[in-house]
Amino acid sequence: MTEKLSLYELQLMIRDSLYISFPGMYWVIAEISEVKENSTGHCYLELIEKQADDKNVRARIKAIIWCKQYRFLKSYFENITGEKLREGLKVLVRIKIEYHELYGLSLIICDIDPAFTVGELAMKRQHIIRQLEEEGVFSMNKELGLPFIIQKLAIISSAGAAGYTDFMNHLINNEFGYVFYTHLFESPMQGSDTEQGILNALGRISGYQDLFDAVVIIRGGGSQVDLSWFDNYNIAYYITQFPIPVLTGIGHDKDMSVSDMVACVALKTPTAVADFIVSHMLAKENRLMEMLVEIKDLTHTIVEKSRNRLETAGIRLPPLPRILLSAVKEQLAEISMRLIRSGNEQLRIASLLPGGQTSRLPGVIKTFLLSRRTSLELSAKILAPESVKLLQKRKSELDFFQKNLDLLMPENVLRRGYTITYMNGHVKKTIDGLAPGNIIETRFIDGKISSRVMEDEKE
Amino acid sequence: MNKKEFSFKEAVSRIEEIIKNIESGDLDIDKLSDEVKTATELIRQCQKKLKTTEDEINSIFRDLS
Repeated sequence: MTEKLSLYELQLMIRDSLYISFPGMYWVIAEISEVKENSTGHCYLELIEKQADDKNVRARIKAIIWCKQYRFLKSYFENITGEKLREGLKVLVRIKIEYHELYGLSLIICDIDPAFTVGELAMKRQHIIRQLEEEGVFSMNKELGLPFIIQKLAIISSAGAAGYTDFMNHLINNEFGYVFYTHLFESPMQGSDTEQGILNALGRISGYQDLFDAVVIIRGGGSQVDLSWFDNYNIAYYITQFPIPVLTGIGHDKDMSVSDMVACVALKTPTAVADFIVSHMLAKENRLMEMLVEIKDLTHTIVEKSRNRLETAGIRLPPLPRILLSAVKEQLAEISMRLIRSGNEQLRIASLLPGGQTSRLPGVIKTFLLSRRTSLELSAKILAPESVKLLQKRKSELDFFQKNLDLLMPENVLRRGYTITYMNGHVKKTIDGLAPGNIIETRFIDGKISSRVMEDEKE
Repeated sequence: MNKKEFSFKEAVSRIEEIIKNIESGDLDIDKLSDEVKTATELIRQCQKKLKTTEDEINSIFRDLS
């Protein structure tokens, strides 16, 4: 082959053959891996197709949306999908092949089908939701419930975001004067760094979890776009596992991201989150006031009850002696009545006595005396045996004393061999006063003798 | 050593316990006054906590890396 081509000629040949081979427009499914808008308004993309493992790329090509189409396609796509054209999105685009002698091969995008992307995103979301449910973690953060007060907040947001500023304004300037303690853990809230940024922030907060009552994830502006950054398995999973409640205000009206779904409380905007927290505080302060009233009422009831008991006792006490007295009186009256009844009975009996008494009264007296005598006789009957017994007992005692006395009689003593000594007619019990030559008289049972004292010897 | 941080949760639990005790009627009237005093003081502290800034907490939050 001797013919030589210039580079330009070669490029033209390639271009022509491509145009012949790919004459029309094609619908192509691809994933955006890069998007850039330049200053002239053109949009430059890189489209890829990944292998089945969803990691390695098996096809890659440049694509362009000229500014004329881009202005229209951009808003059309965003309105329907709620997403910007961004990396990671799968798109269905209508293209034509273009080959430029300077820039080489590229695809010119003429149209885009947002419905395809919506379907893709929905499928991805559903997949994440199903996975979290299958793992049994979907509602774990919700199950934590909210603490009694939400006062110390770890905030994940980007410092410059309008949403963060709005949130802080609503919180700090709340009309009830509640004090909040906040610390911002910065993270990108859109773009491909969102996932890593939020995971890092949550990781840092978990190191200080005891300091915080809740985590707040907020994103600025109420923009509808870029929601799908929060349809992210890793973010959602970390939220489900977070030890303190997570509140989200990611800023969207139409739909909830998976991160919202798994959060303890999900609200539409950052200001809604701030208002919710203030309302929560207000509700809890009201609860405190209710408890105070409850305590007051209960205490009042108890004190009142005790007072009533005392008062009742006070009322019951004074009449008691009167009641007691009247009971005694009644008893006395009863006894009197019985006596009278008994007397009447006696009178009645008396009136029935035979003998034809002309006057009742002597009969009554007679009956009375008769009854008394009868009663004495009855008593005597009962008493007699008892008296005999008593007398016998007394007699035995006297006999015993008599026997003892008999033993002590002088005759009995003399009989037992004792003698009695007299001097000058007086009994001598000792030898005191006796002197040799004294005459003493000794009495025996059967007679007495006189004798002279020869000598004495006192023992 | 920092003083033990006031715990809202514990305070509320204690208040609820006191209310329950009073409600049950088991509470000795001699202890009523002390318990009511404790509960109202805890409520006062809780209310104060909602609306008063604590420098200690502020400084902890400032120092967070």
